[in-house]
Amino acid sequence: MSSQFDLFAEPEQEPEPKRRERRILTVSDLTAHIRGVLENTYSDVWVEAEISNCRLWNTGHLYFTLKDPGAQIKAVMFRSDVRALKFKPEDGLHVIVRGRLSVYEPKGEYQIVCERMEPHGLGALQLAFEQLKRRLQAEGLFDVSRKRPLPALPRKIGIVTSLDGAAIRDIIKVLGRRYPNAHLVIRPARVQGDGAAAEVARGIRDISKVAGIDVVIVGRGGGSVEDLWAFNDEAVARAIAGSPVPIISAVGHEVDVTIADFAADVRAPTPSAAAEIVVARKEDFCNHIERLSQRLTGAVRGSIARLESRVHLLNRRPGFAGWSARLALRGRHCAETTHALRHAARASLSHRIRAFQALRLHLEQYDLRRRLGGVRARLVGVDAMLRAAATHRQHRAEARLRTCAASLDSLSPLAVLGRGYAVVWDDTRTRVIRSASEVKPGDEVRVTLSEGELTCEVVKTDGLDN
Amino acid sequence: MDSTIKDFEAAIAELETIVKKLEDGDLALEKSLELYERGVQLSRFCHTRLEEAEKRIEILNERGELRPAGATFTRDESK
Repeated sequence: MSSQFDLFAEPEQEPEPKRRERRILTVSDLTAHIRGVLENTYSDVWVEAEISNCRLWNTGHLYFTLKDPGAQIKAVMFRSDVRALKFKPEDGLHVIVRGRLSVYEPKGEYQIVCERMEPHGLGALQLAFEQLKRRLQAEGLFDVSRKRPLPALPRKIGIVTSLDGAAIRDIIKVLGRRYPNAHLVIRPARVQGDGAAAEVARGIRDISKVAGIDVVIVGRGGGSVEDLWAFNDEAVARAIAGSPVPIISAVGHEVDVTIADFAADVRAPTPSAAAEIVVARKEDFCNHIERLSQRLTGAVRGSIARLESRVHLLNRRPGFAGWSARLALRGRHCAETTHALRHAARASLSHRIRAFQALRLHLEQYDLRRRLGGVRARLVGVDAMLRAAATHRQHRAEARLRTCAASLDSLSPLAVLGRGYAVVWDDTRTRVIRSASEVKPGDEVRVTLSEGELTCEVVKTDGLDN
Repeated sequence: MDSTIKDFEAAIAELETIVKKLEDGDLALEKSLELYERGVQLSRFCHTRLEEAEKRIEILNERGELRPAGATFTRDESK
């Protein structure tokens, strides 16, 4: 450099030694230096820019670029700050951010770490509202075709709201006036502050499952936009849209419009109005039904009267003249026939009774006892014959017996006794004595004669050689 | 209650139809009496439904239990 511009060669000589005392920095040193300068100088800056390349990472951190027509700068917003955002940053959005500059040394890059972000022009809440509304609308959540009709006479009315608020008192007051015997089920829920939206959403889900509840009012009394914010929450909108029973939204005053209002089947401008919408006056119901009942009775009476008069008219037409006379004639004929029939029936009956009595008499005369007498006489005759026959047989048997006995006698050994023989027995009369040896003198023997017996004593035994 | 009647709305709607039919139509006697009977049945049903609901306020708590609201909420607030 100095060789090319000789004019300046001279004065260069002087400061040369100082300059030559080179201070050589490492990249790290330099970067650290830059970092110190930048981070100290721009520790709290506000920047207005358009967002581009916006990307939410899984970590929850948001990376994007802030730009204007002439320049751009990388930006990041950490998870905790992203969570606090009411709206969703997206490409093309014109915003004002507040943050600090930070240098990422490994890459030699600098970026702005945003701590807050708000939309330029619109309020952040307003933007968030518009964004959510647009998204849910595109999804069809607000479609008219999704809206369900309210039941005319709800069995139980569900209410999701705070127990401390004005809304519940207004609703109860109005209902008490219009429909005193309404059955209310209240699901208490915080309606503002952190976690309110989740409580309201859960309350809607829980209460719509209670048996008998067929309509639900969800809402709160008036308040600031922030106070009503829970009702601009996506979770609340989805709970309303997903409810199996129709939902009436009643948030704040007439002018307050929330996402819940769009999702609801019916939007009531205020909680009191919701109470008026949810059920008609009891008197109105009663009157309506009363009128219908009266018309019903009137109409049916009318139609009966019309039919009656038609019958009457027809009756008077010539074709029907003498109709009743003919009827009377027929009637008489009928009566006569009935009489004849009855008479005939009676005659036939008495004839049969007589026949029966005759038969009975006949039966009685046919006396069984008399027949029995004849039988008995025959029986006696037979008996006598039987007895005579028996006697005869007996006599014959006796005669035969005698004959037999006589011939038997002639054959008997005893018969010889008649001719003078005798039989000698031992003293016991059991043994016939055939030999003198069988006895000895002094023994007693018995002697059977033809007639009678003798008891004898042996005096002497003779005639025996042995 | 009556299995042929779906709910209050249906009952009112049917009753209205019946009244109209009876008022307009030149119906046979039997048919009109039949409709009349049905109409009386419907109007009784509606009256019953109007009176049957019990004046009651209950609280559904976090555990899904229903409890009477107690003295905090009485309808007789004279405001």
